[in-house]
Amino acid sequence: MARTGSHTNRGFYVSIRRLVELPAVVIWNALFWTYDRATWQYDLMVIAILSFIWLTPPDLLGDPTATGPGLIGLILNYIQ
Amino acid sequence: MSFTGAIGAASMFPLNTIIRLFVQLRIRPNFLTLVGVLVNVAAAYALAMGHFVTAGFIMIIANIFDFVDGKVARELDMETHFGGFWDSVMDRFSDISLFVGLIFLYAELGRTDYIMITALAMMFAIMTSYTRARAESIITKCKVGFMERPERIVLFMIGAFTNRMAAVLWIIGVLSLLTVADRVYYTWRELDHTQTGDFT
Repeated sequence: MARTGSHTNRGFYVSIRRLVELPAVVIWNALFWTYDRATWQYDLMVIAILSFIWLTPPDLLGDPTATGPGLIGLILNYIQ
Repeated sequence: MSFTGAIGAASMFPLNTIIRLFVQLRIRPNFLTLVGVLVNVAAAYALAMGHFVTAGFIMIIANIFDFVDGKVARELDMETHFGGFWDSVMDRFSDISLFVGLIFLYAELGRTDYIMITALAMMFAIMTSYTRARAESIITKCKVGFMERPERIVLFMIGAFTNRMAAVLWIIGVLSLLTVADRVYYTWRELDHTQTGDFT
């Protein structure tokens, strides 16, 4: 019984450890990019990039050719 | 299928028609490469003049030539070592010309900050190609890092069509720097650094 309990505890700690390490693994995999095109990881990266491009207010970046609050600013203005 | 895969597959329909047309006309692939660069220079001029949407359309045409040259060479059985070399060199000219167009525009607008950002993005973009080429002279393959030429081209088009070039330049700069770092790290790892003693 004790052995089973120890196994359960070890499994629990391994799961917790994996959960704690997950953000670090995700960040490392995003920084050290080894995925091919047309994978779900690639899709996620594309979504993140397009979100930055279209949601960041041009004024925040000091864009020389575009002005205005951008999509986030428009949504915030609408909510207010 | 991923959504980027679906977009790629959908784009192949018109491109295959263009490839068939060029194959039937027996146009030399190296000539297609050259035309692609010249059209890209026209896109750079439009960027320099601040005509972003026009530049976006010209970039589409330029990159059709750029994309089909290799496929046409394969179809016509005209693949040569020089063709590969010529393509790589012309790609660098195309890349640099777009950045130079933007540098001219920002200089005209008196924006030194964005001249620097564009220049740094250009430097890192060129370094991504250089690191891979140099790495593959000593290791078999060095295809790591996100920001390669197709990504850069699509980002330029998105920036041009939606007038969000500043954000695009930040993305190209940061992700190109990361790609260079990835390639340096990967090559160092592949060369078994523990034996050579580099950095240890």
